[in-house]
Amino acid sequence: MGTHVLSVTPAAPRRQWLGGGALAGLSVLSLVVFLGAWEAVCRVGLVDPVFLPPPSQVLHRAVVMWQQHTLLMNIVASARRVMVGFLAAALASIPLGIMLGTSRVARAIFDPILSFLRPLPSMSWIPLTLLWFGITETQKYSIVFMGAFAPALMYVIEATRDVDPILIRAARNLGANRWQVMREVIFPGCLPQILSGMKVILGLSWTCVISAELVAAREGLGFMIMNGKEFFQTDTVVLGMVLISFTVLVTDIVFRWIQRGVLAWQR
Amino acid sequence: MKQTRRQLLKQTLALAAAGSLGMPLFARAATVLNYGGSAWLGHYPAYIAMKSGIFSRLGLDVRWQSFSTSSARMAAMMAGNLDVAGTGAVSALALMANGARQFELIATPENFGRVEGLLVRDDVNSLADLKGRKIGVTFASSSHVLLLDVLRQAGLEDARDVTIINLPASDLLAAYRSRQIDAAAAWTPQFNKIRAQTHTKVLVDDTQFSLYKAYKMTPGPDVFVARTAFAKTNGDAVKRFLQGCFEANEMIMSQPEEAAKYLVELTQLSIPEQVATLKDAEWFTLAQQKALMQQPGNFVTGLQKLAEMLVNLKQIDKAPQVKQWVRTSYL
Repeated sequence: MGTHVLSVTPAAPRRQWLGGGALAGLSVLSLVVFLGAWEAVCRVGLVDPVFLPPPSQVLHRAVVMWQQHTLLMNIVASARRVMVGFLAAALASIPLGIMLGTSRVARAIFDPILSFLRPLPSMSWIPLTLLWFGITETQKYSIVFMGAFAPALMYVIEATRDVDPILIRAARNLGANRWQVMREVIFPGCLPQILSGMKVILGLSWTCVISAELVAAREGLGFMIMNGKEFFQTDTVVLGMVLISFTVLVTDIVFRWIQRGVLAWQR
Repeated sequence: MKQTRRQLLKQTLALAAAGSLGMPLFARAATVLNYGGSAWLGHYPAYIAMKSGIFSRLGLDVRWQSFSTSSARMAAMMAGNLDVAGTGAVSALALMANGARQFELIATPENFGRVEGLLVRDDVNSLADLKGRKIGVTFASSSHVLLLDVLRQAGLEDARDVTIINLPASDLLAAYRSRQIDAAAAWTPQFNKIRAQTHTKVLVDDTQFSLYKAYKMTPGPDVFVARTAFAKTNGDAVKRFLQGCFEANEMIMSQPEEAAKYLVELTQLSIPEQVATLKDAEWFTLAQQKALMQQPGNFVTGLQKLAEMLVNLKQIDKAPQVKQWVRTSYL
């Protein structure tokens, strides 16, 4: 058995055969192909437009609604409800979540209530919120809030509990008081995870707004989808769905900017 | 083996003889027909015919499926889950406007002019008094069409003069009682329940609808629709279905108390309430039906006008040619 001499040379950096621009082009191409195939399937009559309208019909509906000033009105109405409900949920869940994440006693007190709230879908709050707030915008905000609050709280609790205990002990050993530990160690430590969680909760809030607009709404993307369904205007339904996805995408980009700004110290 | 063959021959002959001697049920199995209904009065004929054994006698095995809205029922028909359904015409017209050919319009069971309307509190004496107030209604329903039409007749506009709030039919009563809305546009049974509240009256009913005077057309007349593919291969079953429904209509007109007994299980109304509801509507006979539906039947003309009105009220995009969907060969 001969002796093998292994010569170890530093690995050359793997060549990326597609640059950023080419990848973006590929994404655009896949979207164009998808839309083209969808249009073709509808045009040749493989799918009845009542079941699935072609993209051109959806676009036409968007133009008509834009001219009637109803498109922007619906987007703004839903976006406002999402933002108010989401911000209220975030403002309530972050301090409470940090408190529950750092205190075993507080967790013991709140855990049963949280376990009760967590599985409830936002839609189940419709009857009660109608009684509490009547037919008002507050009722719609509250449905988004109730749908977003419990999951947001869970994210914050987990993020707080994930902060390295060595860092907390080190700060205490260096003489930091409870408030300083909270402000200088725990909060900055859990902030990246909280922000990532809030991005998910923002998307979830958009699903809640559909429930909020099921009853006593006269505008909004959820209302637009439900009303389109009643009149079998599937182009309106698809347009509503596309707009929700698009709006979530835009808010996601905005959220990422905020995240970068807030977590600038991480870089 | 020979004996078995002889037995089989005997059985076949017996079945053939039974068929020819007027025992069709013995000779053939009942045709299964999936029907989409609800507790609304447009479905009473089918329900009575099913519960009283009329359909069984006619060789039909009608399987009832409940849907809370006409649009849900029509969606099930489009998906091929229902063979025949009763529906408010607005949903059918909306589908026709989109060119859907999956169903045919085969009959209209009744006319319900006085069990749908706008209910208000005593201090409201005219439509003008509603200025600045909140009116609850289920969007995309016949009551919504009625409300938009009467407001237009009175020169009032949604958003500018009144606030129309979209509420499911089942929530209207609670919203009205808790004064979250000042008025409600509804149909039976919610209409009856709200009307029964203290200091409440009917301000407008379907007889004030624009098309009622000329065509006796309510804002959302009931129609029976049959799935085109089913009717093509089971035309005789569709015919027997209509025959059964109009037999039930005869019962409603001649023996309302008897008909009410079959219905209370469906509607949960008391017998007197049920009888009153039956008497509030005009039930058609098969003979009347032919006059209404056959070209140029009053009903079909009225439906065409309704489709055009829905376009004006911005409820649908374009008015379909209704007569293209009407099939009177099953009558």
